[in-house]
Amino acid sequence: MEHKQAVWIALLFTGGLFLQACAPPQPGPNLLAPTAAQMKLRSYQSRSFEATDPSQAMRGVVAALQDLGFIIERANEPMGLVTAARFAEPNYTDVMGITVTVRSQTEGHMMIRANAIYNNKPIEDPKVYQNFFATLERSLFITKE
Amino acid sequence: MHCHLKHLAKARPIGCLLAVGLLLQGCLTPYESRHENQWDAREQIGMSEASQVKLRAAQSRVFDMTDRQTILKTIVSTMQDLNFQLDVLDEELGIVSGKYFAPLERPEYGYDPLYHLYDDQNLLIFSKTYLSWGPFWHRNDLVRLTVTVRPRNEKQLVVRASAQFYLRAVEDPEPYQKFFRSLEQALFLETKLAQDSQAVQPITP
Repeated sequence: MEHKQAVWIALLFTGGLFLQACAPPQPGPNLLAPTAAQMKLRSYQSRSFEATDPSQAMRGVVAALQDLGFIIERANEPMGLVTAARFAEPNYTDVMGITVTVRSQTEGHMMIRANAIYNNKPIEDPKVYQNFFATLERSLFITKE
Repeated sequence: MHCHLKHLAKARPIGCLLAVGLLLQGCLTPYESRHENQWDAREQIGMSEASQVKLRAAQSRVFDMTDRQTILKTIVSTMQDLNFQLDVLDEELGIVSGKYFAPLERPEYGYDPLYHLYDDQNLLIFSKTYLSWGPFWHRNDLVRLTVTVRPRNEKQLVVRASAQFYLRAVEDPEPYQKFFRSLEQALFLETKLAQDSQAVQPITP
């Protein structure tokens, strides 16, 4: 009898563990909340450029993305949004995606923000964004001419 | 008493083995066994547990403004803050949709998904270590969000956000509250920026 009880206790315990392992995770309250790291990332991702025409700035962004080998997926001029993707070096098995927004800031200035992801993970290295903005600066200079 | 302990001592190793076995099985249960089959859309509609009215109230927020474009741009920048990748942006209909990947359930086990391709009927996930379509469990890790903007009256707009996580609609009001808090802050900054920009503009005679 006692032996049976012990087996039942063991079964109940394991059953509990089994159910716990299978329970789907509940969405946390921070599912749609920005973190402090994301706020820091935002400063690397944004840069103000001297430009008066939003359409010209958009063309500059598209050309910069083309320079970097991206394929444009979406471009919405009134909303100032461009999304693009490319396979990444060295093996071209990794995927890099980028979302760029162009916003009028003050008179004669545009705020350009780029969010890049590498295999579904946000890129947090500031150098990547610096390189992108350096290419963009050249591209804007060329499109202005 | 001695007899009880003896029996327990015999049962313990069996119980432990069983526990470990079941625990491991629980961790490796195939994707399908942890999800009920959804044969048609009617079942999915019935899956919503919370009251639709209550959910709708948690998902919606009224803004005292009529500038659709400004609010859409602010929604886009808030979603960028949250690392969302934007999939849909329709200015006329007032829709912004995006997704981000939250690997909460199964962290890194060498099945790094590279790319999500989602359309109406399929979700394809590519991975360089898993040479097939799938792995399926990564569908669970996808957070998807649709935000809509519609006019409420002549002076107000209603913004509604609906999120999906673990293949289900998010019904907990807290994530939405946090989203709207971020949106309100971004909108405040946006309005201030616009005012500053107007102040900087030279006055033309």
